[in-house]
Amino acid sequence: MGRFRWQRMSIALRKSTIRIRPLKYEQEYTETPQYPPILDTSYEARKRRMDEQWHEKLKALKTVEEKLFEINMPRYYGWKCIMLSEDSIPYNSLSFAQHVTRTHLGEIKNLSPYSTDLEEESNRLLEHVKPWIEEALIFEFKYRSRKHEYLNNEEVLVDKLDNIIGSSIVQQVNRILLGNLSTKAPHLLKCQVDTDPRVESFWCVGGMNPHTFLRRQREKVPWLKDAADEPINRWFQYLGAPMMHLRHELPLPAVLQMRESESPAVDVPFFRYDPKVIGFHDARQLGTNIPGFWPGDACEFGLLSYHHRGHMHRRLLQYGEEDRAEALHAQAIFASYGWLLPQACYQGFSTFNDMTYPLVTQTVITNGKLWSFYVYQLNTTLLHADHTSKNPRHNLCWGTPELKLFEAIEDGKVIGFNDDVLKYLLKFYLNAPKVREGVEMKPYLGDMEKHIADISEDKRREWLEAEFKHMYSRRPRHILPYEIYQWERIYKIRHQTRPFEARRRPFELQNVRPHMRRYDEHVPRYIPKKFRDVNKYKQKFEDTYYP
Amino acid sequence: MWETGSFFRYLLYQRGNPQQRIFLPNFWLKLVRPEHKQPPNIVQFIVSLQMTKYDIRNYLEKIYKIPVVDIRTVVAMGKTKQDELKGYVTKEDDCKVAFVTLPRGQEFEFPDLFPKDDKKLESDAKTLEETKKNYRQFLEKTKKRPGMPGWYSY
Repeated sequence: MGRFRWQRMSIALRKSTIRIRPLKYEQEYTETPQYPPILDTSYEARKRRMDEQWHEKLKALKTVEEKLFEINMPRYYGWKCIMLSEDSIPYNSLSFAQHVTRTHLGEIKNLSPYSTDLEEESNRLLEHVKPWIEEALIFEFKYRSRKHEYLNNEEVLVDKLDNIIGSSIVQQVNRILLGNLSTKAPHLLKCQVDTDPRVESFWCVGGMNPHTFLRRQREKVPWLKDAADEPINRWFQYLGAPMMHLRHELPLPAVLQMRESESPAVDVPFFRYDPKVIGFHDARQLGTNIPGFWPGDACEFGLLSYHHRGHMHRRLLQYGEEDRAEALHAQAIFASYGWLLPQACYQGFSTFNDMTYPLVTQTVITNGKLWSFYVYQLNTTLLHADHTSKNPRHNLCWGTPELKLFEAIEDGKVIGFNDDVLKYLLKFYLNAPKVREGVEMKPYLGDMEKHIADISEDKRREWLEAEFKHMYSRRPRHILPYEIYQWERIYKIRHQTRPFEARRRPFELQNVRPHMRRYDEHVPRYIPKKFRDVNKYKQKFEDTYYP
Repeated sequence: MWETGSFFRYLLYQRGNPQQRIFLPNFWLKLVRPEHKQPPNIVQFIVSLQMTKYDIRNYLEKIYKIPVVDIRTVVAMGKTKQDELKGYVTKEDDCKVAFVTLPRGQEFEFPDLFPKDDKKLESDAKTLEETKKNYRQFLEKTKKRPGMPGWYSY
């Protein structure tokens, strides 16, 4: 890779790979003349066609990993994306969260399976489980020493302590519920439990204003002047930090039919500003879609995930109570969408290829004392370009406000235990995943090859496996991306004060844009002579198998 | 003002962190037209480099009674300028830009400081037309005597 030079790139760009062979007369001749379709040749139409071509390519790729790989192929140093993290939610960002995930927010109270079948079952089991939970709460809050947990930190941060207590209570509650309910709900025996899983997702959203720099650039170009304010696509990278999640081989049943989300009653606020103006930042990185396990795992559908709420301590008091509630909703929306999207990606869908059936997950945000419950149904992943306004489908989220599990613990007793909170939790555990009858679960994956591990060609399989894992390690590229130094910007770009110097930096050259470099634009690995194949001794470089 | 060093000087930290209290600050905030398209509850200011977020919050809350929810600041580099004759580059001072978030529901729109006066524009246009007409008449009158100065009457 060290051999890659900018000067060579311009030469490589000029080479055409099209080989034209003349057709024979018989091939050329038809009874009725056949004309190619007449295409719109405007700039926008050509651009849209190129994008669609890429989306079709993504759809046609056979394995999950190759699909995930292909999304990063156009950029060597990664896409510029808005970073979303679970524990920093700016003021007044619920409408942003809803727009970016196309989510309608409702109340869980009268949602059908949770208020009917599951309600009765949870009522029956409540008294059975309650004493165990109370005992665990008393132990965790009163008798367990926390000193060793933050020994190294001089200052005990309230938010960290909140997270520590939260995760130990969730461990206990999960242990009690799995142990007690698994005889009544056999699906719990088969589910996998992950603590501190790696959940990341990456998607594309349109409909938001271009950033100021781009708007000004467009205003300078005569043919883009009128479209200077046209919205642009943005990439979003969500980095989740759930404390625990449960997953199963089968998906949870859909709460509503997919087409019910198309009704006009389901609305989503439109957020048209650049996300940076409300306090998000961007970074350049390779996009990752990972739901806490690698592709090919048997248990690939989520049941339930638990999330911290220590960051609520860091929120300023000036934000007010209303914003506190909305921050939790925003966290839940991102956490649920951020987990379901990579799950959908493992089924072969992507941010450009829409779902053919809905996926459901359940989300709990807690610190042991305060609990919020959410149910999320992913109906669509199509959010780029004008799909933000034209896509009829919406994602649906139903939630509760934050609820207190108990008032206090005094004299070794729990005072004011709220049964409703425990009932919600029981309902979430009792909600059994089911086989989707008559639904093709992986329509966009190959028949035989669904993951790289199914590829029979040894060399290609091993190469793809290594490269995919390297891409998903989130390490920076081994040659750092170039930057324009401040002195260059002042003395070379803004004011041309050094006209006699040789022009070698990318910004001084024609057609050299390092950030537009493709992932596969590098010299492949060199094969030393002694390792070369006897039959192909002239092959200097190793083969690559980019999708 | 800031160049002469007459601004408020922050004291060094001492044990117990005694707080400075001032009643007539000689800081000033400059309300500017927003650079980016942003929600109506965000206001942009240019402030002194010395001011911290706490200072900005106190300034707005205590003096102007403006409820402030959040403040984000960034130090913006001053513009550079090149001398036309000698070619050396000079730079203006840096400044701090503050984006102040007001509570939700509150809106601020930067006022139109120089509203267009339609009447004045109309009368200006009329005068211009008249002048043009007079000049055309003059040209018509003197076209047979090229180079004849305007002050020469006959």
